[in-house]
Amino acid sequence: MANLDELIDGLAREAVALKPAPQPFKLWLYLLLAALLYLAVCLGVSGLRPDAAQAWQQPWLRAEIGLLFMILLSGTLSAALLSFPDLGQHRALVRLPAWLCAGFGVLLYFSWRSQLPPAPLPAHDYQCTLCITLVALAPASSMLWIMRQYACTHYRAAGSIALLSAFSIGALWLRLHEVNNSIVHVLQWHYLPMLAVGLIGLCLGRALLKW
Amino acid sequence: MKPRAPELEMLMTLAQGGDQRAYAQLLRQTARLLRPFLARQLPSNSALDDLMQEILISIHKARHTYDASRAYAPWAYAIARFRLLDFLRAHYADQLVHAEEWSEEIHSAADVTESALDYESIEQEIQKLPEKQSTILRLMHHQGLTAKQVAEHTGMNESAVKVAAHRAYKILRKILKP
Repeated sequence: MANLDELIDGLAREAVALKPAPQPFKLWLYLLLAALLYLAVCLGVSGLRPDAAQAWQQPWLRAEIGLLFMILLSGTLSAALLSFPDLGQHRALVRLPAWLCAGFGVLLYFSWRSQLPPAPLPAHDYQCTLCITLVALAPASSMLWIMRQYACTHYRAAGSIALLSAFSIGALWLRLHEVNNSIVHVLQWHYLPMLAVGLIGLCLGRALLKW
Repeated sequence: MKPRAPELEMLMTLAQGGDQRAYAQLLRQTARLLRPFLARQLPSNSALDDLMQEILISIHKARHTYDASRAYAPWAYAIARFRLLDFLRAHYADQLVHAEEWSEEIHSAADVTESALDYESIEQEIQKLPEKQSTILRLMHHQGLTAKQVAEHTGMNESAVKVAAHRAYKILRKILKP
């Protein structure tokens, strides 16, 4: 007990006025705006797919992009909440990306079933994963760096969500840029690597976000 | 007496503004708030005191993440639970290592004693070991004392004797390997 009292006195002596962290929802808005700005810049540099207007007529593609966008929204929200020890006291919202990813899987399955005859596979394959990774590197590292400024108590989930959100930016960018209608291709080279990256995030979170 | 929640929120807000007295009071009340919760999860009082210190340091490091518009107790409990899990993980990992070392030790003791080698035939190698380890082996294998008796003789505790003997066996096995 004497040690505890000494410790408390020592900590109290170190206490100076400090700037509180932004509220979790403010942090979310900040992350989201930065992500959208980055996506806009990427699309501005690379350009939209030339058949964008025609492709937008396809309901499955609209649903796919819409849901991917929702994953980005929920991922950044979850990342913001996971930066705080008590998850901003909104535990249920943190799990939103998992539900949306499951819904996304179901959507892709029905989209694949509805594509008759199947769209031809493009000539390239792993290059898509590479492009998504390159585009996602900057947001992933920024997001992890921002989260390190706070106090994650669920560091594995936080690392995974940070990478998932960053890669959803990359996946959105490529889907809006590349002329490609093959669901098999996007599933194999765009979205499955995204899930794998989410798993890598579990380890990265432990390495980078543990305090 | 359990501290009232609004009091804690007010103290934390003052502490974030640099009020050292309010901060000291907050940490004391936090310790009082968390003690029963931790006591239910931990095996001993000394572990509780160690962990409580870690939790208070973590609260200190993370105090900028407290949002004054929300309740203080869930925030403090989240940090306490986080450190508790770390502590229990480390505690059980230690126990596992200990258990593995003891089981290896039993096997290696059997290897050494059941082999054709007796103490006299490897006495020279034993003397090359660090003093503490050679003393322990001499007492155990030359004078036939048990680990408990060696512990009493050397003033070490029994598990430290076993660990030291285990390390000595490891070195000997390396030296004597054909």
